[in-house]
Amino acid sequence: MSKVDIGKKMLSENDRLAAENRVRFAEAGLLVLNLISSPGSGKTALLESTLDRLPDGVRVLVIEGDVSTDRDIERVRAHGADGVQINTAGGCHLSAKMVGKVLPDLNLDGADVLFVENVGNLICPSTYDLGEDAKVVLLSTTEGDDKPMKYPAIFHESSVAVINKIDLLPHLTYDIERAEREIGVLNADCDILRVSALKGTGMDEWIAWILRKMKEKRGE
Amino acid sequence: MHELSICQSMLEIVDGAMADHPGARLERVFVDVGRGSTVEPSLLRDAFEIATTGGPYEGAELVINEIPLVGKCRSCGRSFEYKEIALGCPDCESTSVEIESGLELNVRELEIDG
Repeated sequence: MSKVDIGKKMLSENDRLAAENRVRFAEAGLLVLNLISSPGSGKTALLESTLDRLPDGVRVLVIEGDVSTDRDIERVRAHGADGVQINTAGGCHLSAKMVGKVLPDLNLDGADVLFVENVGNLICPSTYDLGEDAKVVLLSTTEGDDKPMKYPAIFHESSVAVINKIDLLPHLTYDIERAEREIGVLNADCDILRVSALKGTGMDEWIAWILRKMKEKRGE
Repeated sequence: MHELSICQSMLEIVDGAMADHPGARLERVFVDVGRGSTVEPSLLRDAFEIATTGGPYEGAELVINEIPLVGKCRSCGRSFEYKEIALGCPDCESTSVEIESGLELNVRELEIDG
């Protein structure tokens, strides 16, 4: 009986492929945001509303991740984005390999921002680096306000938490201050934004956040 | 439920190491799983059994070292374990904390025969 020392991260191969993606994104000067939420929080609605509000001249790419159908990529294309759909055929998250595989189908050069809409799931996507600059976690007021503490990993990993559907607050028991406080405990550096993708409330701050990150990426 | 795909990544690492030991039999795989890593140890064990049945690693044991989720208060410097829903440092009640450990997902070592 003998021991073999390994000392490797289980996802070291994913991390290696994510680093390759990151090099490709850096060459193109492209800001990459990995958008994560549970199903139905409004990731695609946020993208549609974002595409309508970004200044003219900002070129947007989208990678849509879903178990099946190309409905989401059709929705964002209708708002002016170029992009590709990945169907994971049962997989609960996107991986660096899946993203790397579709990059040749996208014209990265000249693009400003790539949104990767992950499969609707608050758990698994938090573990897989795709090569993004930042993870964006989206919550909505129609979910429980205790989501941050129930799914701490994704809040710990995210650069910004966007709380969507705030137009519905008067009809709900959602305690937004509690949700914000608990996000702060899990990740004191996480920015928090309140929006209604549908009504447009708070969208100016979200657009400003994206433009600021774009500038940081270009080193301005 | 991404334990099966995590398990596949783990077995690729095992494959790489076992290639250096031709003819050896895998007895045990020692891994670290942090309590905040999003991986459920019992599901990882099930995934390991499913993935190894009928193959060269059938009968090998997965030994999981669970690492507690530990936070460190940025105000008073105390380290504490997150056992349940915590709203910050149990001493000074500051809500500014950073996670020290508990996010690990590592393959530490193998035990082989031959």
